[in-house]
Amino acid sequence: MKTIFKFATLTAMAFAVSMPGFTQQNENRVRGIVGPVRSNTSWGGDSVVSEVPGAALMPVLGSTTAFYLGFTAGVQADINNMVLYTTRRGSLKITAVTPVTLGGSSNPSIDLASSSVCPVVEISANNPCIVRLDPTPIRLVAPNDYYLVVYFTNGDSNNSSLGVTAPTFLQTSLRGSYTDADESQLAVGASVPSLGFTGAPFLLMYVMID
Amino acid sequence: MNIFYKLVVSTLMITGFAGTAIAQGTLVNQTEGQGTIASSSNQSWDGYSEVILIPGASLMGPKSATTALYLGFTGGAEADIGNMVLYQTARNATSVLRAIKVTLGATQSPHIDLASSSVCPAQPVSVSNPCIVRLDTLNFGLSPSNDYYLAIYFTLDTNNESISGMGASAQPGALSGFSLYGDQTQIKDGGGLPEYENTDQAPFFLAYVANQ
Repeated sequence: MKTIFKFATLTAMAFAVSMPGFTQQNENRVRGIVGPVRSNTSWGGDSVVSEVPGAALMPVLGSTTAFYLGFTAGVQADINNMVLYTTRRGSLKITAVTPVTLGGSSNPSIDLASSSVCPVVEISANNPCIVRLDPTPIRLVAPNDYYLVVYFTNGDSNNSSLGVTAPTFLQTSLRGSYTDADESQLAVGASVPSLGFTGAPFLLMYVMID
Repeated sequence: MNIFYKLVVSTLMITGFAGTAIAQGTLVNQTEGQGTIASSSNQSWDGYSEVILIPGASLMGPKSATTALYLGFTGGAEADIGNMVLYQTARNATSVLRAIKVTLGATQSPHIDLASSSVCPAQPVSVSNPCIVRLDTLNFGLSPSNDYYLAIYFTLDTNNESISGMGASAQPGALSGFSLYGDQTQIKDGGGLPEYENTDQAPFFLAYVANQ
């Protein structure tokens, strides 16, 4: 019997090393932005609101969610606040509010001129700088929709020249819009602003498990 | 020690049921391929290239160690391919990081005999009887951190005047294609992809991207 246990142990270890399902790898949760992008500039005082539809989620493992933002111009992005709203599928009524951070902060300033942040400097539409936010401790599930809100500080010269990604291909599951107000302070029970969400989003590029 | 072994065995049994690995021999899509075959508006392909985007952002798990690309034909007697490559770029970028050879029958410039029932079992090839040709399996998996562009150059000859691809379907899936005159398969590492105007167009020739 001991031999069986030993054999099982060896098998388990070999299995754990070789099988992709055991380790979290960077896998898409939804179909993100595809193909080359354009640039859209001047974002001070604007909230970019991106919808991650529950109906578009791929069934992959993972207990955290990583959002990736795309920048195409500027030297620094000054974010005032970032938050993820959860709603029931098809509803705008907020059922949960989850802080979203970069480097542990919900109001980061991202140094787009740094090659440690953006490997290809100077950033452009041809060489967008993709910034991965801290993994958010939430597992996205199909019965819900999710809205990522990024509010850019108002009256800020950095954000005046800030460029973010604007999709050219529309074959993505992500939807988005923007508005010139701070929509990142909404509480449970309030409603996500009704912005249509018929177009592909600015800024948000991918939603992955890592 | 016995407790440790028992724990391992229990874990093995649980994970054996819960794991998401691909069972050997199972065909799994790597991205959403094309749906309804339309074959509309096929141009004359002699001397043209089709460049097809396979977006990393569209890849579905689980991962695979191999990749198979499938071409679909709906007309013609012979497709004369001058060259095939797969360009790898960073996600959403236009600079080629790597140009990878793509082959059929170990050649990058195959002649596909569409009139042969050993190649296309349902004859004659048509929209109703599309011929799906699997290219040689690539010995790597696609990564969500990259984009990939399959470039196929059709030789400037009379056979290619009458071939047609299965695509331009109403349900393009995650694939996008565009055609350009001339050989677009010669871009070297570090080179830029050609500019194009048409986006969100289903490709004509690339039908599916799978693990095998």
